[in-house]
Amino acid sequence: MRTEAKAANVAAEVFCNVIEQTAFMFGERTCKDDLPIAGRPFVQAQMSFHGPLQGTLALAVPRDACLQIAANVLGMEADDPFVAERATDSLKEIVNVTCGHILTSLAGDKPVFDLSIPEVSDLDEAGLAELLADDRTVPFLADDCPVLLRLALRED
Amino acid sequence: MALNILVVDDSQIVRAVILKSLDLANVPVGQAYQAANGREALEILGRHWVDLVFADINMPVMGGAEMIEKMSQDGLLKSIPVVIVSTEGSVTRMEDLRAKGVRAYLRKPFKPEDIREVVDQVIEVRHAN
Repeated sequence: MRTEAKAANVAAEVFCNVIEQTAFMFGERTCKDDLPIAGRPFVQAQMSFHGPLQGTLALAVPRDACLQIAANVLGMEADDPFVAERATDSLKEIVNVTCGHILTSLAGDKPVFDLSIPEVSDLDEAGLAELLADDRTVPFLADDCPVLLRLALRED
Repeated sequence: MALNILVVDDSQIVRAVILKSLDLANVPVGQAYQAANGREALEILGRHWVDLVFADINMPVMGGAEMIEKMSQDGLLKSIPVVIVSTEGSVTRMEDLRAKGVRAYLRKPFKPEDIREVVDQVIEVRHAN
């Protein structure tokens, strides 16, 4: 199996565990064509890592879904103002935890990695199209929420 | 006895989850202080009595490792137990942090019973000393 395909499988498995344990949502891989994304603005959390492996991890979801994810993480109602203020914060946290576990799964528990602080940005149509077109992007449905996860390893 | 807790993480959502987990695990909390980075945490530690610190490693302004190093150089602060709460999976880094004085490590994601176990372990060790 190609390294990138293997890495994508590991990333997918780790993500499903993390989203289940942190947000009580069940992730399952799907086809890009089956994602309910039409007309929904997306946000993306992204971080980079440096060490024996180098690259980036990006996680994109519809902006409206951030609210539900944050509510689940906090165990609160989605219409609570406390949740709304922290909606994108939850996405950063999930990408952060996912990244840490992917690196341990791929490289073991001895190497030390430097992780960047995750950043969130709006994904415009071109950005979303680029993410969807990338072979390294794994599409999920987490409950009914469309999710795109891309682990991009870089060789230096 | 209720514990005064300081939670240090740049993510508000993580700080809220740690405090909620302490509550769900029936850990008796007196004052709960919050800081978004190591520098803010040191300021709070300079002004308030804190029994236990939960800290992330990777934070802007001042990270967890630098904060722990500065605590270890202070006669009063070095006795306060620090628990790292992180996604970090490297045993090499954890050994390095333990050498700097970190008492325990909680890897995210965690359950309330995990945080209870760590608190019991750290507080028990402190009383034994």
